[in-house]
Amino acid sequence: MTPPHAGGEAFLQARELSKSFFGVKVLKEVGFTLDKGEVLGLVGENGSGKSTAMNILGGIHQPDSGQMTLAGKPYRPTGPKDAQRAGLAFIHQELNLFENLSIEENVFISGFPKRRGLPLINRRKIGKETKRLLDLVDLGHPPGTRVGKLSQGERQLVEIAKALGFDAKVIIFDEPTTSLSRRESEKLFTIVGRLKAQGIGVIYISHILGDVLRVCDSVQVLRDGAVAGGGPRASMSIDKIISMMVGRKIGNLFPPRESHPGEVVLDVAGLTQPGVVKDVSLSLRSGEVLGVSGLMGAGRSELARILFGLDPFKSGTITVEREPLENPSPEICMARGLAFLTEDRRAEGLLMEASIRDNVALSSLNSYARGLSHRLSWPKLDRDVAEVSDKVKVNTSDYIRMLVKHLSGGNQQKVVFAKWLLRQPSIFILDEPTRGIDVGAKLEVYKIINQLVLDGAAILFISSEMEELIGMCDRIMVMNRGEVTGFHERGDFDGERILETAMSVGLREPEQADRKER
Amino acid sequence: MPIDAAETPVDTKVEIPKVRAFRRLLERLILSEYLVFYITGVYFLIVWPIVPEIASFSSLRNILTDMLPLLVVAIGQTFVLIVAGIDLSVTGVIAMASVVGASIMTSDGGYLQGSALAIPVGIIAFLVVGGLIGGFNGWCVTRLNMPPIIVTLTGMMFLGGAAIWFTKAHSPTSSIAGLPRAFVAIGGGTFAGVPIALFVAIAVVVVAHFLLSQTVFGRWLYAIGINPKAAKVSGVPVDKAILWAFVISGVCAAITSMLLTGRLETGTPVLGQRILLDIIAAVVIGGTSLAGGKGKIIWTVGGVLFLVTIDASLKLLGSSLFIVFAVKGGVILLAVGLDAMRQRILARGSG
Amino acid sequence: MQVGENRTTLLLLNAAPWVAFLAVVVVFGVLSDRFLTIQNFMNILTQSSHIAIMAIGITFVLLTAGIDLSVGAIMYVAVAVLALFLGGIPVVIAFPLVGLIGVALGAMNGYFVIKLRGQHPFIVTLATLFILRGAAIFLTDTRMVFVEESVMSLGRTSYFGVPWAIWVFAVVFVIAWIVLRETPFGRQIYAVGQDPTAAAKAGINVPRILFSVYCICGFLAAVGGLVSIAQVAAASSTFGFQIEFPVIAAAVLGGTSLFGGRGGVVGTVFGAVLIQTVQSGLVMTNATPYIYPLVTAVIIFLAVLIDGLRTSILDTLGRRKIRVEEIA
Repeated sequence: MTPPHAGGEAFLQARELSKSFFGVKVLKEVGFTLDKGEVLGLVGENGSGKSTAMNILGGIHQPDSGQMTLAGKPYRPTGPKDAQRAGLAFIHQELNLFENLSIEENVFISGFPKRRGLPLINRRKIGKETKRLLDLVDLGHPPGTRVGKLSQGERQLVEIAKALGFDAKVIIFDEPTTSLSRRESEKLFTIVGRLKAQGIGVIYISHILGDVLRVCDSVQVLRDGAVAGGGPRASMSIDKIISMMVGRKIGNLFPPRESHPGEVVLDVAGLTQPGVVKDVSLSLRSGEVLGVSGLMGAGRSELARILFGLDPFKSGTITVEREPLENPSPEICMARGLAFLTEDRRAEGLLMEASIRDNVALSSLNSYARGLSHRLSWPKLDRDVAEVSDKVKVNTSDYIRMLVKHLSGGNQQKVVFAKWLLRQPSIFILDEPTRGIDVGAKLEVYKIINQLVLDGAAILFISSEMEELIGMCDRIMVMNRGEVTGFHERGDFDGERILETAMSVGLREPEQADRKER
Repeated sequence: MPIDAAETPVDTKVEIPKVRAFRRLLERLILSEYLVFYITGVYFLIVWPIVPEIASFSSLRNILTDMLPLLVVAIGQTFVLIVAGIDLSVTGVIAMASVVGASIMTSDGGYLQGSALAIPVGIIAFLVVGGLIGGFNGWCVTRLNMPPIIVTLTGMMFLGGAAIWFTKAHSPTSSIAGLPRAFVAIGGGTFAGVPIALFVAIAVVVVAHFLLSQTVFGRWLYAIGINPKAAKVSGVPVDKAILWAFVISGVCAAITSMLLTGRLETGTPVLGQRILLDIIAAVVIGGTSLAGGKGKIIWTVGGVLFLVTIDASLKLLGSSLFIVFAVKGGVILLAVGLDAMRQRILARGSG
Repeated sequence: MQVGENRTTLLLLNAAPWVAFLAVVVVFGVLSDRFLTIQNFMNILTQSSHIAIMAIGITFVLLTAGIDLSVGAIMYVAVAVLALFLGGIPVVIAFPLVGLIGVALGAMNGYFVIKLRGQHPFIVTLATLFILRGAAIFLTDTRMVFVEESVMSLGRTSYFGVPWAIWVFAVVFVIAWIVLRETPFGRQIYAVGQDPTAAAKAGINVPRILFSVYCICGFLAAVGGLVSIAQVAAASSTFGFQIEFPVIAAAVLGGTSLFGGRGGVVGTVFGAVLIQTVQSGLVMTNATPYIYPLVTAVIIFLAVLIDGLRTSILDTLGRRKIRVEEIA
């Protein structure tokens, strides 16, 4: 069906793709090529434009400018279905499978073959066809197995089989190994090799550089929405990739701050929850910013949730201002002076359908309640809400009626800050406080953080942006697969070294990995 | 905000702006939170010329007395709906509280027959039955993670049966009569010409309105209804608040039970059996959302008023039961249709 | 390991309804020697058939995470039309017409559910419940309606020793079972119930599926009405009143989740029969009739409690792990 591509021209080509959201340029003239049977690695920090580029490829976004060609013909997908019809398949971190259906049903859910003359599913045919596809990905389960019974890695193989089922020409993997065991990852690499041998083009997006170097024929590095470098595997090394990723010198985006750490206010020792974190110990002083670095899924957010009493832990101790924190719950933690800014503003940080006032007041309502009935003192509350919102520069004057969902991302984040500031906590746990907000708003968030530190607050600052951590923190703690793998002091910050600690699993040889697990 | 937009002066010289102005007025009406009151008013004005009796004192009085028991239980339901729950067990509570309370007070072998304590203890029994059942519902929903609709549905079935069984154990007939005069007055009596039930209902309205709009607890309920996860992260005691919402619903149902029992002068297990869907319909017509996070006592008052007005007018019109049912169903559809329209207008306004 | 413990608990929870059923049968078998007879078993099946048929219909709706409160009203309308207008017409023509009425009324539900998306089907079908009850009362003028002798005789007919009602029940069950398990439509219902967004992404026409399940539910509500009226011969104005509750209960008791995507008609039939078995057992052991709803309510409550525990364990098992503990 597909004509063989014209000599010299790559199978999939993207040229000078650009894209802006709300006036912020997130993709600047990015281009790449992919041949049949080639594996292209795509790396870059969060926010470097990888996902935007892939969303354009998948038809979810349309580029502002630039062209793409597929098999020599212009390729302009207007939706995910277009992309699928053209032969592109995406294997996302979040799989698109129905757990309540069997493997074969998942593979054929979009169009079942029927029995001759009957409206019934041709089980024989889908069973046979699914078996063939499963053999291609080395999955031994019978096609009738329920997907809910499969492990994460096995489900991924089902997704790949599904892609092969509709004759995908290009398969894009987005962080495929984050939730896989080492063994499952190995298997995945074998499958990728096999896809390659069949002439399928693969785009492989990953933070784990060791994996990238292992499976990819060529690597392309993105930084700040532009191509920072790349080339065939032979010319690349982990060091080289990391320096491309971190790139430019840390500028003066970060307002300077004197650092005078005081007493230890938060002390964590041996915190363990099976399957989540293992033996995490840290101490945080007042007037200090402790950064937490690590890859997606390294256990940073999970650690934060445990510290704030949202998730349970099995062993270890948490001490707040020399008093042990027992059976933490958000209410108890807040009473002890903790505040927690979640990574998912929409789902957990804000009441999107409520006003700014209702959001800012939510955590402090009790301190504005009078008498037995806990009647609210509105005038005082409104005054304080207005004051604290002004302090963080929320960009509106109508706090009482303006719904949070109508605010920009940056303003929403300031509302979350205002909510906690109203309580005047002494320990802040900030999980990705600048995610999804523009540069101007980021700067203001940095200023707020610095002011807090000057006032003596202690801050645990979780971020995926290396620059930000280096610019803002007094110390940086690195996490990897639920464990603390190192601390770095301010004078000693080195983005490349921190990234190396964070990615050490990817650097480890498989045997070493096994030994580490004992 | 879209509401403000409608207030900008409109050039009426040209034809098109006139149309636009009309549309804006219409949108403003639809967006108004008192829409149900306007509709009730308009409806009343339309019906008045056809059946002038509707404006008579006795008819208005009937509307009022019909409205009160429904209103009290609907207010309790409002609390539960705001936290995105639902309470179908209220009719069971009404029945159970009625027979338990009556068994204490009745002069035909009541537990406290003739005692001065009979009435106070009886009233407390009503409230305790309601509170305990509500508490159990809330406990199942928060601690056992069960869906509110099923917990309260089984509650309704169980209590309906239990109330009949309880009656059988206390009375040879299917109800418990012989209630003290002073208690009966709560449902049917008057004070200075005003039904005592009205005082009770007003007290419930005022307390409920105060709780929802003026207290920390009220803010918590709305926050939970909008986004329980965010509420939890913000330190709201989510489980506790949901539990109390169910307790309030149970207690309100118990108060309704008192009003109805008083009016009938007997405790009976069939009390309130048929009003379950009316209760939910009234709250939803008022504008409270089944999805949670939205609702006001005044809206519920409007919803109940509307439903009862329609009932009364249809009775006066000599309509068959058929029309009463069909109109009620139509009104619910209208309410959800209006709500859908509201969402669309708001989405456009912010877009 | 904790995961292992969870899996064992899960297995126990999965077996619980069957264990309960067995226990019920054994207890009543011991208490009454008439209980464990073929005749009694037939009676139970006959008496539960209309509830079971309607519960099969509602299972389709529940699988898409919807609900239909109007089944009792549809049932009443269908029977009223049969009694009042289709009197002289032979049943082979009259019954399909009644079935069509059921489909049409279900289609009305489906239409509103799709059009008013964002409104829960609960409230939509609550409205149509009122409207249809009103329509039925309009038709019957609140008077008792009676069906022809030809319909009543069906209620007494047996084929090969098996009553007519059970045959209808069996045919409905078998077809529903095949549709849900072996047709593309059936599997897509499960997909929509599990995750409507993912289903739409996979190219499934979600509104069409939703519309269809309400049609099916309406149709089976009408069929349930026919089966019921053939047994009782007359319908008062409370015919089918609040029958939606035991119908939903039967499906939920059989393991169909209110949140969609999980369950099936085997469980539903089991649920309906279990409820009837308990009632029949209570009758035979001369228990006071007021205790029936109590016992039924407790059984449903426990079933949902078990379902809730099962769901939360499944959630724990499904959660993504950060640290993958390797098994050597």
